[in-house]
Amino acid sequence: MKAIGEEPVYEVFARRAEGEPLRHVGCVAAPADALARVYARSIYDEESWIEMYVVPRRAIIPVESVRAEAVDAHA
Amino acid sequence: MSTPLLDRPSALPRECVPALVDLVVALADNKHALGLRYGEWCSSGPTIESGVAATAMAQDELGHARVLYGMLEELPGAPRRSEHEWAAADARIVAFLDASFPTWPHLIVANVLLDQALALVLRTALESHYLPLRQRARKIIEEEEYHAIHGQGWLRALAAEGEPVRARLTGLVRDAWPDVLCWFGPDGGGALACLVDAGILQEAGDRVRDRFLGVIGPLFRDTGVEAPVRVRGTRWAAAEPLPWASWDAQARRVRR
Repeated sequence: MKAIGEEPVYEVFARRAEGEPLRHVGCVAAPADALARVYARSIYDEESWIEMYVVPRRAIIPVESVRAEAVDAHA
Repeated sequence: MSTPLLDRPSALPRECVPALVDLVVALADNKHALGLRYGEWCSSGPTIESGVAATAMAQDELGHARVLYGMLEELPGAPRRSEHEWAAADARIVAFLDASFPTWPHLIVANVLLDQALALVLRTALESHYLPLRQRARKIIEEEEYHAIHGQGWLRALAAEGEPVRARLTGLVRDAWPDVLCWFGPDGGGALACLVDAGILQEAGDRVRDRFLGVIGPLFRDTGVEAPVRVRGTRWAAAEPLPWASWDAQARRVRR
């Protein structure tokens, strides 16, 4: 298990109702996908979401960013 | 001939009521105690996320206990229970819940073994002919899915820390093992057999225990946590005899 602060970060997205956009609602740190699901469900349960997803932050491909190095790394 | 649906306590076969009361009391008392034990880690989990997850599981377990205690109010001869007080003096809980969990691995072993054993017993009521139990079991099982993911995920993470942690987990599993494995009842279910005959539970005893071992056996094998469970062909089975001579069927607990 990685030390606190070193665990992978997962971005959390959720949809409130059919036809509404998927919204970014926050993030969780977890050692693996399975626990990321549990944590997202526990923490972001303030609304009755009809869908919720976790996405590893490292899987998100930057398109534009003020941090040029983040984009360059995926160029 | 199919068994008729039983929609209220008065429709239950009289000879089944004591066994049903004993089972529901033990399920609810263990869930109540488990919820309180989880709750003690609300603000002291290894990470903020794990503390919040422990809080959510505590709320779930206390909620499950509350709906099961509500069921007791309708059953003749059932003891009175309240979710507002700490476990009653005659609470029917397993020894692993007698004291607070001193470490996070204690919580995870309880999560993997006891929480999932109770869920598996409730799963045998998903098609119950006794409607008040079937309706409650459905809601509880939905929430238990996430408890299983949590326990298994954390067991894998802890075991990956190295041999000293795996040895610690092995010791804790040994502590909880007799109570949890006996909880399903002896071979044919023991006192629960009449509930199976009446269609109140789908199965009990060895059949449920085998399903439980089929889930945790591969988990322990994969994580290197040593438990007295062995695979024979495709079937996982307990590697040591269970202490039935010390088993108290009403308290659903091994006498020590």
